[in-house]
Amino acid sequence: MTDNLEQLIKEAVEKALEGDMDAINNIEDRVTRSKAKAALVKAKREAAKEKPEVSSDESDSNQDSAKIKTSNENIAELIIQQFPEDINKDLCSEGHIQIHPKNWMAIAKYLRDDPACLFDSLQCITGVDLGEESDLEVRYNLHSMTHLHAIEVRITCSRNNAKVPSVESIWRIGDWFERETYDMYGIEFDGHRDLSRILLPEDWEGWPLRKDYDVQETYHGIVVPKVKEGWE
Amino acid sequence: MGIVKGDQMILNMGPQHPSTHGVLRLKISTDGEIVSNIEPVIGYLHRCFEKHCENCTYEQVIPFTDRCDYIASMNNNFGYVVAMEKLMEIKVPDRVEYIRVIMAELNRIASHLLALGVYGLDVGAFTPFLYMFRDRERILDIFELTCGARLLYNYMWVGGVSHDLPVGFVETVYGFLDYFEPKLKEYNEILTYNKIFIERTADVGVLPPEVAISYGVSGPNLRGSGVKWDLRKDEPYSIYERFDFDVPVGEGTIGTTGDCWDRFYVRMLEMTESAKILRQALKDLPQDGDVHQALPKKIRPPKGSIYQRTESPRGDLAYYIISDGSPQPYRLKMRSPAFTALSVLNEISRGWMLSDVIAILGSLDIVLGEIDR
Repeated sequence: MTDNLEQLIKEAVEKALEGDMDAINNIEDRVTRSKAKAALVKAKREAAKEKPEVSSDESDSNQDSAKIKTSNENIAELIIQQFPEDINKDLCSEGHIQIHPKNWMAIAKYLRDDPACLFDSLQCITGVDLGEESDLEVRYNLHSMTHLHAIEVRITCSRNNAKVPSVESIWRIGDWFERETYDMYGIEFDGHRDLSRILLPEDWEGWPLRKDYDVQETYHGIVVPKVKEGWE
Repeated sequence: MGIVKGDQMILNMGPQHPSTHGVLRLKISTDGEIVSNIEPVIGYLHRCFEKHCENCTYEQVIPFTDRCDYIASMNNNFGYVVAMEKLMEIKVPDRVEYIRVIMAELNRIASHLLALGVYGLDVGAFTPFLYMFRDRERILDIFELTCGARLLYNYMWVGGVSHDLPVGFVETVYGFLDYFEPKLKEYNEILTYNKIFIERTADVGVLPPEVAISYGVSGPNLRGSGVKWDLRKDEPYSIYERFDFDVPVGEGTIGTTGDCWDRFYVRMLEMTESAKILRQALKDLPQDGDVHQALPKKIRPPKGSIYQRTESPRGDLAYYIISDGSPQPYRLKMRSPAFTALSVLNEISRGWMLSDVIAILGSLDIVLGEIDR
């Protein structure tokens, strides 16, 4: 880079810091202009750094963690008030709420849109097999980027007729997470547009993460190795 | 995909295509050279990670986590041991915490170097790739010095680390940092502000922040869209609250906020921040302490479950562990950041040219080992 260009950038940044953004925007060459913008951002950052902010940061984070704790209980309370019939109060604890599958769509919408909840991010969907003789469960970990609180929603469904409403249209990532849960547990998500296997081949038999799963002996003529139990 | 309309063509990219960074197949519907739909087909690398874990003891899971995201194995170990220690309520010595942070940040730099170098390769710049691999090599040498492995370390254990630091480790890392920090300027000159590179990436594949959040996109991809979110800052785990560092976000310096160039540049800036953390960690590293002191004799967590997230180089890496009190996990789920990043590909590539899909896919920095598990 020539000294000439550097001089130009320097002058433009100085003018921009005084409030005249046109000085940068008028640079014709795109690369030079972007370099000038980058230099401006850097200059602004350094100016901001001079103010002491470390101590205030720490107190902020302490407040946040306190906020998370209180709001977790509040959210459970809120949902109990809003949907008293859909929630299984006996099984709820501090960190999670247990709900019936029937109204899950409406609850999910409420959780995402209500100003007190604003759970805009679906973190994870985990399928769980509660035991060979008992039910399957789906666990949703929700997080709010605005309020910085989190909650876990659990829905139980029967092993032989495993159906849960799909929340794919509410959180877009639900699409792939639900396909993965279907793939491993055979839980059907009602209302999903394309519920098919995602990690395993389409013609694979059985639901591998169920506790009563038996591996098929051959797949297209290839012998399937058995999973060893109790490795030492 | 159903019926193909008159002017449409279906093109298969992969499973063996150099720019897919692994074994990924993209079923691309094109109209001329314009992409109208992409359907990623994954699962070619599925190794039954979660099923295996249910048949292993808790210690035996750690080598498997290495193999999920094989570019950033240290960070994968880290997430798992943090979750396990929280479940078992183990307090590890300060020295172990510092060693872990040093390893995790070194691995973050190595992972970003690979991501950026290969990204340059994807869009047609061969030389930066060689520069970045040359420097990544030095980090791998440091890992080899520490635990004998260059790619899959099995280094972090529940309650400690496998080996104490070797003699002269601190000086070696200082030496690396002194060498590495000026190199960032070199990368910027050779790639970041290269005119052709800018033409290929600026304004391409813009990912708006609300779409990113709805798709669960995290890490540098989310920060590239201008969302200041970093678990090391916002939900500090281990000892990250002790360090002073910035969280760089995309600012639309060259094109639009959230374009491929922003995602690229955020990674470039993050390497500086990692170097900053490394310098602080090396300075404060306690000299004494047994790294095996807190290792439990038997890993038998109490009944219960935990969902713990950590910041891997690719984003929010989370483990959901359910324990029934036995030495084997009852259920172990890994929430991988690359899985969510790949799911957004269709959304942001529609309407772009076929060659831009390569640029967009590369900017998401996916690792197929982690997607397929």
